[in-house]
Amino acid sequence: MRRAGHLSLELRRIGEASVVSARGDIDLSTVARAAEAMDAARASRGSVYLDLREVGFMDTSGLRLIIEEQQRAVASGYRFAVFPGPPKVQRLFEIAGLAGDERLFADPARLPSAGGIG
Amino acid sequence: MIPGHEEDRFALLASIDEVTDGTVLLGETVARLLEYVVPAFADVATLDTISPQGVFRRIGSRVEGPGREELEKGLLRRRPIPEAPVGLPAALASGESQLIERVTEEDLRAIAADEADFELLRGLELRSMLDVPLLARGRIVGALACGVGPSGRDYGPEDLRFAEVLSGRLALALDNAGLSAAVSGLEQRLEATLTNLAEAVIVRDGTAKIVFANPAAARLLAVASADEITDAVPGSLMALYDVFDEQGRRLELSDLPSAIVARGGEAMPLLVRNVIRATGEQRWLLHKATPVLGRDGSLAMVVSVIEDLTEVKRAELAQRLLAEAGHVLSSSLDYHQSLQRVAELTVSGLADRCQVLLRSDDDGLEQVAVAHAEGEVPAGPDDLGVAAEAVESAEARLAGRVIAAPLALAGQPPIGAIFLAMDQSRRTFDESDLVLARELGQRAAIAVENARLYAERSEIAATLQRSLLPPELPAIPGFRLAGFYRAAGEQNEVGGDFYDAFEVRGGWMVVVGDVAGRGAEAAALTSLSRYTLRTAGKLLGDPVATLEQLNAALRQGTGLSLVSVCCALLRDVDDDAKAELVLAGHPPALHLRDGRPEPAGVFAPFLGAYERGEWTPVTVRLEPSDQLVLYTDGVIDTVGEDERFGEDRLIAALRGASSAGDSVARIEAAVRGFARGPQADDIAVIAVERLSGAGRVGQQP
Repeated sequence: MRRAGHLSLELRRIGEASVVSARGDIDLSTVARAAEAMDAARASRGSVYLDLREVGFMDTSGLRLIIEEQQRAVASGYRFAVFPGPPKVQRLFEIAGLAGDERLFADPARLPSAGGIG
Repeated sequence: MIPGHEEDRFALLASIDEVTDGTVLLGETVARLLEYVVPAFADVATLDTISPQGVFRRIGSRVEGPGREELEKGLLRRRPIPEAPVGLPAALASGESQLIERVTEEDLRAIAADEADFELLRGLELRSMLDVPLLARGRIVGALACGVGPSGRDYGPEDLRFAEVLSGRLALALDNAGLSAAVSGLEQRLEATLTNLAEAVIVRDGTAKIVFANPAAARLLAVASADEITDAVPGSLMALYDVFDEQGRRLELSDLPSAIVARGGEAMPLLVRNVIRATGEQRWLLHKATPVLGRDGSLAMVVSVIEDLTEVKRAELAQRLLAEAGHVLSSSLDYHQSLQRVAELTVSGLADRCQVLLRSDDDGLEQVAVAHAEGEVPAGPDDLGVAAEAVESAEARLAGRVIAAPLALAGQPPIGAIFLAMDQSRRTFDESDLVLARELGQRAAIAVENARLYAERSEIAATLQRSLLPPELPAIPGFRLAGFYRAAGEQNEVGGDFYDAFEVRGGWMVVVGDVAGRGAEAAALTSLSRYTLRTAGKLLGDPVATLEQLNAALRQGTGLSLVSVCCALLRDVDDDAKAELVLAGHPPALHLRDGRPEPAGVFAPFLGAYERGEWTPVTVRLEPSDQLVLYTDGVIDTVGEDERFGEDRLIAALRGASSAGDSVARIEAAVRGFARGPQADDIAVIAVERLSGAGRVGQQP
């Protein structure tokens, strides 16, 4: 049985970029840990990416985290983008009217580094 | 010269050889040796050993006549003063035997250490004295001192010579048996060890008489010196103490391991609470006892070792009390009950009485908990003045048999006091009790404050919750409404979801919304959202403008406040019913026609996310019996066995729904059947059904 509320997080540095890779669910019960990972990623003062490709579920608390990060990035002048997740996750961006926000999403294959991380 | 036959004297010498064949214990050997000397040859005799290092040790004394025991004890404690020109000191210094045929006061003064010693010597009423060094292998290994007087005998030069022979035998016998070495070496080391030992060591002989006690024993038993213990009449020491076991049962001497071992039993170490009657001082003592058997297997000695576990025990008790109190205080929000329990715990080891007092509204102290070790609380003296002082000064107070510590959070004025008293126990409190009481006071204060805060919060929460949900959905002409709301988590936690239905200019507005987050902050946001929507809705009558108003309100706050809303403006003009539907960060509404649900609405940003947003209304025509179902994401995010409920299941559940009530019931049932584990998020559903013509008549106000 796959339990809701499981989330593993990994922080990698690729060039000047920090990538938080999430695997599992980002919801009320796990969002605090995701936020900590984002804090750690931000600490290295480069671009910050959140990789949602292995996220099975995300609720509005995850979305709130992303919107917060996006606004912080605009205010502080660093790049923040999301590697899109599976359709169910992208549906949430759609509902939030963010699906068309090109600046919010990035293609991992085009990450400006040696060969990307695709 | 001592009268007596030559044969008697040979018999005496023979006896000494017999006694010193090494088969008897040292103490017994010496005692028996002296028994042969006194009264046969002397009225008073002492035997000493001197180690190769020159350490003097008196190993025996014997006196004949009245007051014998006292005198023997006195003599046993005597040490020769080195500079005396006569008597034993002179014999030891010169290695020459000393004879004083007529003892004068001047002689006694010369060998007496002080006035008391002089009185002791004078009490022996000596007429003649002999002091003979014991020589073995060219070394002085000890001395024999003999005196006569009360028996009317005198010593002459011949007696001196006999004493020298006697001493030679004694020296040889002691040396042969290795006893002098044992005495000077082993025993010395043993005594040195015992003297420095932190544990009390008490040795009793076969008759339960205490024959040895080390300084630690004197300290633990709170007597002036070890001699006071060895001098005590068997059993008399016990009268100085109240002794209890760990369960608080009073113990008698016969319950102690030393007594059990003396009876031939086996004794486990026993932890006792020893209260000194005179002072009330309390110690936790661990009693252990071991038998020492003689060669014939009979009990020769009982060695008791008493360890002072007061600090350990107190620390353990304190720790246990704090742990239990902490547990009690954190496990219940009924602080009256918790404080009562803490008081009960406290009297089970630390105090006879414990009272917890809280500051009342009129600034007095009100007792909220009390416990007494004896169960019933005696109408004792009113000694709570110390508690008032502790509250007044915010400092813990110690006053002998009472302690008061303030109930206070760090840096805050006390809200009360915890008061401990010793009533019937003779124990007094000390610094460590004070530290403990202070700690208890802090914990109790936290518990009380938490409970008060919680009560306050529960009340606010309950008030909010009541205010957040419409008490009843209004009757809207031409429509029928049904709603369902279920908050996640604890009953008193306000959820972030809300729904509402209210009349606006030209129609009715129906909304469901969801505030990101939980708890008091979310509740405040929910409240703000709901009332802003209501006010703006009524004023503006336009859903997009209403949402923009809420967006602006949310942007004014610090931090990011996100709210998702699905808002529908119902208009029924000339039998043409429409819903103007706007979504903001919200999943689509479902429009049911002929029982077929279709998503409706244009996705748009959350309210509060951006300064400006493009919220786009869509108009949904509502035919009679059409429904519009608004729901929050708690429905589709419901956690199931291995998936979330999702939009597809919601649509499937609603397929064929015949009325607003049916829709709501179907969603509730489907979600309940699907859900696994605790509900993670709030759920709010509102279904609007356009009534057919017949139904509408009934709904006319």
